[in-house]
Amino acid sequence: MTTRTRLRSSSRVRLVRRFLANPPAVLGALVIFLMVIAAIFAPWIAPYAYDAQKLDYIEKPPSAAHWFGTDGLGRDMFSRIVWGARSAVFVIVMVTLVSLTIGVPLGALAGYLEGWVDTLIMRLADILFAFPGLLFVFFISATIKPGVTNWARASGLSELANSGYLDYAVVILALGVVGWAGLARLVRAQVLSIKQREYVLAARALGVPTRRIITRHILPNALTPIIVAMSMSLGDIALSEGYLSFLGIGLQPPAPSWGNIIAENAGRYWRQFPQMIWLVFIPGLVLATVVFAFNFFGDGLNEALNPEIEK
Amino acid sequence: MATYILRRLLWLPILLFFVSLITFALGVYGPGDPIQVLLGLRASPETIERLRREYGFDQPFHIQYLNYVVNALQGNFGYSLVKYRDQPVGVLIAEALPVTIQLNLVAIVMGVGIGVPLGLLAGLKRGTWIDLVIRALVIAGISLPIIFLNPVLTFIFSRRHEIILTALNLKFSIGPLLPMVQGYWEGIFSAKVILPAFIESLGIIAVMTRQMRAGMIEVLSADYIRTARAKGLRERVVIVRHAMRNALIPIATILGLMLGGLVAGSFLVENWFGIPGVGQLAFDALLSRDYYITMALVLLIAVAYVLSNLLVDILYGVLDPRIRKAT
Amino acid sequence: MGTLLEVKNLRTEFHTQDGVVHAVNGVSFHVDEGETLGLVGESGCGKSVSMLSVMRLIPMPPGKIVSGQVMFQGRDLLQVDDEEIRSVRGNKIAMVFQDPMTSLNPVLTINTQVSEALELHLGMTKPQARKRTIELLKMVGIPEAERRVDDYPHQFSGGMRQRVMIAMALSCSPQLLIADEPTTALDVTIQAQIIDIVKRLKRELGMAIVWITHDLGVIAGLADRINVMYAGFVIESATTKEIFGNPLHPYTLGLLGSIPRLDAALKAKLTPIEGLPPDLIALPKGCPFYERCRYRTDKCAEENPPLELATLRHWVACWNWQDVRKQRLQ
Repeated sequence: MTTRTRLRSSSRVRLVRRFLANPPAVLGALVIFLMVIAAIFAPWIAPYAYDAQKLDYIEKPPSAAHWFGTDGLGRDMFSRIVWGARSAVFVIVMVTLVSLTIGVPLGALAGYLEGWVDTLIMRLADILFAFPGLLFVFFISATIKPGVTNWARASGLSELANSGYLDYAVVILALGVVGWAGLARLVRAQVLSIKQREYVLAARALGVPTRRIITRHILPNALTPIIVAMSMSLGDIALSEGYLSFLGIGLQPPAPSWGNIIAENAGRYWRQFPQMIWLVFIPGLVLATVVFAFNFFGDGLNEALNPEIEK
Repeated sequence: MATYILRRLLWLPILLFFVSLITFALGVYGPGDPIQVLLGLRASPETIERLRREYGFDQPFHIQYLNYVVNALQGNFGYSLVKYRDQPVGVLIAEALPVTIQLNLVAIVMGVGIGVPLGLLAGLKRGTWIDLVIRALVIAGISLPIIFLNPVLTFIFSRRHEIILTALNLKFSIGPLLPMVQGYWEGIFSAKVILPAFIESLGIIAVMTRQMRAGMIEVLSADYIRTARAKGLRERVVIVRHAMRNALIPIATILGLMLGGLVAGSFLVENWFGIPGVGQLAFDALLSRDYYITMALVLLIAVAYVLSNLLVDILYGVLDPRIRKAT
Repeated sequence: MGTLLEVKNLRTEFHTQDGVVHAVNGVSFHVDEGETLGLVGESGCGKSVSMLSVMRLIPMPPGKIVSGQVMFQGRDLLQVDDEEIRSVRGNKIAMVFQDPMTSLNPVLTINTQVSEALELHLGMTKPQARKRTIELLKMVGIPEAERRVDDYPHQFSGGMRQRVMIAMALSCSPQLLIADEPTTALDVTIQAQIIDIVKRLKRELGMAIVWITHDLGVIAGLADRINVMYAGFVIESATTKEIFGNPLHPYTLGLLGSIPRLDAALKAKLTPIEGLPPDLIALPKGCPFYERCRYRTDKCAEENPPLELATLRHWVACWNWQDVRKQRLQ
């Protein structure tokens, strides 16, 4: 039994409509937008400096002056959380870029050239997959940190070495180094299948150079799964950033990131009610909400691009 | 079939050789020096040199590696260099491993016990609100950060809550509902396992639910389900005898692969609950460059990985008759 | 010979993202005891959906049997409760499907799958059912039945699998067998074998058959009567001889003209029917065949012709069937 369907509207409109019909996905997109705003405009949005201590006003509950209360050193929680968005957004964006920059070309090369290039790249990816996730990233970060710091100092960039950016770089490198493997695998599979198609054969017959074939013909057609895969991994990257900064990798205190805020407060305040609400629960909830948002968004994007078809 | 298993097992020592070589090299040539960590920043170069000679770290690489292998084959995996100074690695791991395995087992049982039925329900009631709620729960499972769940859930369940209702002039206390682990492991049947195992199980629940749901949807639209209905079978028989059998095959695969992860402990969970497991051990070892411990753990994980892959292949053959004859 | 099955005004539709698909639009026909009815038409014309509706095997979201009656043994199958329809399925009315590869459960043995119906409808015990299963397998010509009964579907070839499907369908000696394109997925030589088996079993068991196909060649040697379907309507109904010898609907004529014939002239061209079938979501007001018809008139665009008696035991749904006949006789 077949049903013949006519395209009722252009596929792009349908895509947007399908996405919008998914309330959690739309909500997710909204939250992400808010987070990016907070990240970009943190210096203007945050009412206080993130390291401004008020030692006579510690551990105070939320009030008009301090929307999210103050922590053990009298710092404004709301400001710290808003600044924390910067760390998260920066890391997520950079890690995505690094993964794309390494993963897509490597995957495309592996898929297009096959042979020993393919084997080499895929074996490398396999090795990366064999290691237990978080621990591995942590190990890499902890390992390369002194190395990177020394390199920065030696190159006369000691200012850079002391600033937060180096901490960022370590996290980004670590996550990117581990993250490219999955993307490369996906791109490779796509390339392998697209390679067989007639327009690629035609391009080769015309003598178009390899580089051009990959960039002009193959990759544009592999775009959809790449976008879907990337959007679905955003939640994981956000989570990893949180975990790593919790463990002390990445931005160092007093510079706030959601992970290190939780790390500072969880052990000390989890038992104390009501302090735990604004010192532990709220920061954790913010991180959770952001991860949720990315996951709903990625899921929604996936559904919009690859709808579950009823037979 | 037997030759197949044998061939796969033969691969194990080769893999171990490569893995151990790489890890050893990373430990010896990599940044960070356990002696440095042990003695701290103030140690004099002479003390450091003396200790290095004592531990044999001044020997050429291949001698060190060979010594390691020879010792390992006799069951001696070295000693902890830093944290548990001079305790044999074998003992340390033998103490930590059962703890982690037990914790992970409970987590897997919870994960499958909750995830599979949820996925079944979602697949059967596809498109209804039940399906949507379950799918949202799945996303929650992979979204909720462990560092958030740890303190919050512990607060709710392991704390004594004093509730005062001034309006009714009532004052009573609840809990703690679940006791804390706090350092010593009381075994798999203690109530203290519930919370950490549950937190660990969330990821598993998510995977199981998703897979079972997808599996059921795919299977239910298969032709042989239509045939089963055309024979006049009750819907329940169709689902249990015909559909589930097929949908559970990929679940068994996933389960098998998870067994490989049994030996890997989640540091974040173990650390918070004070569970002396492999995760905690590994983390400490990494931090202090205690690389004999790291080596042994890496080898352990590699072995577990290969064995679980093999198990999965065998399992697959048992469950899917199409594969059986092929091997 | 009494009437076994009578379908009146069956309407089935599917609610999809793109709209409501009107798959079956007021179809009426009957099947007498012991006769073979051929249901012929191209893909998407509603032949499978009609018979699936009879068995109530249409998935209820998104499908819906909107109206109609299916009279079988004095009851309307569309109105009976679940338990009753299940007692009919596999027992009094059985169905064989198109693709034997996917229609058998890969993780269950042949014995399990064939015995199921026996245990369920005839109340047999497992050993009894197994014995009967082996007999059935022998009946459909599966060699070494005693050994093969514990095999899995993937261990059989396509033709053998279809025989197993037939054995499964006939296990409870149904009065009506619905065969939904059972040979379409098979080799031509295997096709012939399957057809022979069905013919033989029909004689032995005296059952009625509804044979669904798009292949006129296959149906010619099989059916007593033929219903031609198009866009969810029955557009012609007559005995096989009449359909082939005296086709009255332009579509039927087109179908026959597009089959290669042994007795045709050497370089004679095939005449395919131009155009495509209509969109089942937006069915035209008048005759569904209007766009592709050489005999159309204005009336055809306005009113959809009902199925009416044209000549002896020959019904057609066409305003201009007389013109068709006139032209053909020239």
